[in-house]
Amino acid sequence: MQETILNDLKMPYCPGCGHTVANKSMSKALADMGVHPLDVIVVSDIGCTGLVDPLLTCHTIHGLHGRAVALAMGIRMGLEHPDKNIIALQGDGGATIGLQHLLEAARHNLDLTLVVQNNMVYGMTGGQTSGLSSTEFKEPERPETAVPGYDICTLAQNAGAAYTARTFIGTDTAELWKEALSTPGFSLIEIVEMCPAYGMRKVQELHDTADYESVVTRNPRAVGLPHRAIGRSLLDGLKPIEHTCEAPLEGRLEIIVAGSAGEAIQSAGDLLSTAGITAGLSATKKGDYPITIGTGFSVAEVILSRQPIHYTGIDCPDIMIVISQDGLDKVRSRIGEHTLVIADAKLGPELEELAGQLNLMTRDFRKTGGSKGAALAAIAHWLQDNGFLPIEALIEAASRHKHGDKMKVIIDKAVAA
Amino acid sequence: MTTVNERMVFLDGSRLIIEAMARAGAGAYIGYPITPVNWLFAGAKQRIPIALEAPDEITALQWAAGFSSSGVFPVTASAFPGFALMIESINMSFMMELPMVIILAQRLGPSTGSATTGGQGDLLLLRGCISGGYSLPVFCPSNLNDCWDMAAASVHAAVSLRTPVVLLTSKEMVMTNQNMDISGLNKIERAERHMHEGNGQYKTYGVNGNLAPPFLPLGNDLHQVRLNASTHDMEGITQKNSPEALGNTERLKNKIEQSVDEYTYFEHDQDEGADTVILTYGISAEAAREAVGLLRASGESVSLLVMKTLLPVPPRIYELLSAYRHVVVVEENIVGLLRELLYGNRQHDRVHGVNKIGHMITPQEIAEGVRQCRKPS
Ligand code: SF4
Ligand SMILES: [Mg+2]
Repeated sequence: MQETILNDLKMPYCPGCGHTVANKSMSKALADMGVHPLDVIVVSDIGCTGLVDPLLTCHTIHGLHGRAVALAMGIRMGLEHPDKNIIALQGDGGATIGLQHLLEAARHNLDLTLVVQNNMVYGMTGGQTSGLSSTEFKEPERPETAVPGYDICTLAQNAGAAYTARTFIGTDTAELWKEALSTPGFSLIEIVEMCPAYGMRKVQELHDTADYESVVTRNPRAVGLPHRAIGRSLLDGLKPIEHTCEAPLEGRLEIIVAGSAGEAIQSAGDLLSTAGITAGLSATKKGDYPITIGTGFSVAEVILSRQPIHYTGIDCPDIMIVISQDGLDKVRSRIGEHTLVIADAKLGPELEELAGQLNLMTRDFRKTGGSKGAALAAIAHWLQDNGFLPIEALIEAASRHKHGDKMKVIIDKAVAA
Repeated sequence: MTTVNERMVFLDGSRLIIEAMARAGAGAYIGYPITPVNWLFAGAKQRIPIALEAPDEITALQWAAGFSSSGVFPVTASAFPGFALMIESINMSFMMELPMVIILAQRLGPSTGSATTGGQGDLLLLRGCISGGYSLPVFCPSNLNDCWDMAAASVHAAVSLRTPVVLLTSKEMVMTNQNMDISGLNKIERAERHMHEGNGQYKTYGVNGNLAPPFLPLGNDLHQVRLNASTHDMEGITQKNSPEALGNTERLKNKIEQSVDEYTYFEHDQDEGADTVILTYGISAEAAREAVGLLRASGESVSLLVMKTLLPVPPRIYELLSAYRHVVVVEENIVGLLRELLYGNRQHDRVHGVNKIGHMITPQEIAEGVRQCRKPS
């Protein structure tokens, strides 16, 4: 195995291209540091910079346009060997389309080095200007009218990069390479380069047209690494539900519980489901609520069945428990001819207007259960009244809950009322 | 009453999927928040050794590829809007031959559509998402048990074929709680990558007659690894269209299609003498099972075929379907994506659809569809 990172293949770039010089500096710096090629991973981007892979004796990964830094981050987080050097190479075009990744890498301060070879043009596609092109280059006649380019060194520094450097090709960059590679954390080197085919041809032209100067900043801080956890089984934590009593229910019962955010509608639905399972039934439950979960309606759809439940949808439920106006507004259209509506007393007048079609039972459930316990009170009252499930099943389900004692008090009151 | 070994719990599909993938060897989960996959993300944070929040879905897939190339098995999840952003990077991972699973939970589209309404609208997107038309293996759970089995199967297929795999599910599967006796869940083996061994020559994409190349991580001390998303030779060097490079690209098609029998999963509930089969997948399968019960209860014979390996289309599916006079394809979209996948755009007299959007298809609608197609016209 050769000890230098460059093999002896001829470089594929146009004569005078800055990439030739930059690659040689990289190789020299690594050789000076005594880094073995197999301790280096080069992540290359799309564009002329991405022609580098065949020239290299180290590990290479050649991905998408602009994503080299993101890919390099993934490799760093996955690798168990912190001593491996990860170098992402991209051009100014890649840095433009992937700017978010550059900032993200700086913010995380993962240990890797990004080298942006900024020749101010997209060479591979015919010389279009990029987000890093200078105003003078884009509009030599009237530079003041051009959109200014990004100063990626300042951006990366502000985002938290441990080391940033900008240099112009023609100066000896080996020392910058060495410092960048040996800095723990994220380091960025921007090399302002010639592209004789479409961009600048002489070093002096680079200096004359650039909006920015050479710069080095150092910002030592903790190196990022992902937190590794030994995850606990998601099943072991689930307490099995014992089948301890029997429900008389023979077929399938569809129940909708509707109220407002903050009224423990979802936990009432869970409790009813658990009670059903305790009594030997199958149960399903799904929740429906607006994206703004702190306000508006909250609806729980529960199905209890003697047989296994496959289809989990409910159109017009058998039972609808409604304890607030938000809830009623949401589910009113789903009241069917066969639906028994059990509602808080406050909703009585509105529901009585529909009385002709309604099977209606109202009580002051808020008085029994408070706003957080009204749905549970209504469920307890309904079960006591019709006996689909023994009330012990509901009590048993409540006893599994962290607020079980409070729930049991509400169930007792509702049953007594 | 509860029997000794029974463990009846109340849980959702997200929990089963994440637990199964962890057991199969998922080492990293990279998430970007989107409904309806947030329960998957929450479970992953508790369960998967490394769980990360990416700043966007392109980054999520790039990180996943980075993990995979260093030997860690990554999982991510999204719905259509995020999946769309991932597609270029999925192509990259496909070309580099990096195993990973992308969970795609369907919701009502187009575009942002309705985040909390289910749907089955993304099948043909998956069929066409790799440029060149190559199939990614796509598995689809049809109930809670499948959430467990197909999640594990996804990881195993991804590892053995060295490819990204999609687990296609929907909002209703990952966000509905159901009771389940988890004592009967199948044991899940850890999927182990086929590693290159020894000091002999190593070419990153050298297959030696196998369908997929043996793996070595980037950064290993023995051999240079060259991963490449551009058309490349067996060493991993970019080549425009040399025979070796084109041969390598053809292998990407072959490795997935030629081994499909090994990962073909379906459920065939055959009614002796039935001339009609209900064909479905995913969330509509549960309604179809009830529809079959309804029809048989009224003396009407019907069979059911639930596809759990959707892509590439297993040849076995065509064999089974050829025995029926009528095929009723049930899916929650109004275009008929599975129908088009299997039978093309042309109308076939024997192929019928039961379709809708915005609500789950009901057992009654499916039963009605079966009766309609059998009416003499
Ligand atoms: S087009 Fe420009 S960047 Fe590309 S190789 Fe030629 S000189 Fe270099
Ligand atoms: Mg450039």
